[in-house]
Amino acid sequence: MSPDARNVMVVPCSGIGKTYGTVSREAAYEVTEDLRAESTRLVALSLLVLGDDEARAAVAANPTVTIDGCKLGCAEKMVRESGGRVPRSFAVLDTYRRHRDLKPDGIAELDEGGRRLAHALADEVAAAVDSLTAGDEEVPHA
Amino acid sequence: MPELPNRMVGIVACSGEELAEGTVTRLAALRVLHEMRPDRTVTICLPLFLAGGKGDRAFARFYPTIAVDGCEKRCAARATEQLSGKPAAGVIVSDLVREHGLGRPEGARRLNASGLLAVDATADRIAGLVDELLGAKWDRRTGALVELEPGPAVSAEAPPQAGCACGSGIPVAKVDVDGRTVSLAALPLIFEQFREAGKAPGAEVTQELLATVKVYNDVPAGADEAYRAVLAREYAVFLDHERAAR
Repeated sequence: MSPDARNVMVVPCSGIGKTYGTVSREAAYEVTEDLRAESTRLVALSLLVLGDDEARAAVAANPTVTIDGCKLGCAEKMVRESGGRVPRSFAVLDTYRRHRDLKPDGIAELDEGGRRLAHALADEVAAAVDSLTAGDEEVPHA
Repeated sequence: MPELPNRMVGIVACSGEELAEGTVTRLAALRVLHEMRPDRTVTICLPLFLAGGKGDRAFARFYPTIAVDGCEKRCAARATEQLSGKPAAGVIVSDLVREHGLGRPEGARRLNASGLLAVDATADRIAGLVDELLGAKWDRRTGALVELEPGPAVSAEAPPQAGCACGSGIPVAKVDVDGRTVSLAALPLIFEQFREAGKAPGAEVTQELLATVKVYNDVPAGADEAYRAVLAREYAVFLDHERAAR
């Protein structure tokens, strides 16, 4: 597959048991729909778990930013196992440590703290996307 | 073969981020887990089948599992079967939408009205399947219902020990097999069930233990004798500890 016109893939974890998974999902939506819609594309982690050819090709052909909700790092692991390159990976907990005032709550629906934390995380991811699209960062080979 | 307690039903949602139907699976699963059947259901994040450990991969062999998928790709059902065990039941949101004559769900990030109705229908279907599975006998090897019968009410028990951020972990014990540390999924519960059944250590019981362990774990070819020795030893230690604690 040739590199995607929206050439940075964003893969959030599918965490369903804790609020951090929802924060990762919301941040990914904010980046791919609002902040950097023209240069990013959301790839569903479930497709990578299944080994979907199109999803694997997308992460193999383009730099991918992962967003994980817990230390197990499912999104980053799955992208790497799918042959993808992960020049930047984010963890919700790291962002929370930088924004202790934004304590998230809620899984089906984030509370105000969770939404603001997702927004802060999305800003960090958007900055990483800018760096990648500007060629400021070297993208490792798969 | 002895049957382990069938306390909870596992729910695995695809959570597909790209489609509104994926969001429907997530919200419906959460509603069942937190509101409709909180004491009878447990979940795991789908990617943990690959990213997690042996206990995570044993999930669908341990719990009768309902796979909840947004579309015909059936990522949750297929990945669960490939990586863990055959789901006992499945729900596909796009099929339910057609079945109920609902409008198309839209808005992966914020569901439209049709999406919210699809959440209602999907949650109801999952909850019904949970009740059905808890009242039925279930074959862990094939994922199939053995027979449907009303059955006794299943007592609510404490959720399994947390093994990941999802709180979905399955009890795992580490044992030494020929100088190598091996993780055996479900071993603590297997020992507990054997103890409750009054099974005293001995060759026959050890063979039975090995057969049960193999349901949840891969035992390498030719390693039966080593595993029998380990299980006999560990079961005796387990019984000693139990006696001392009482």
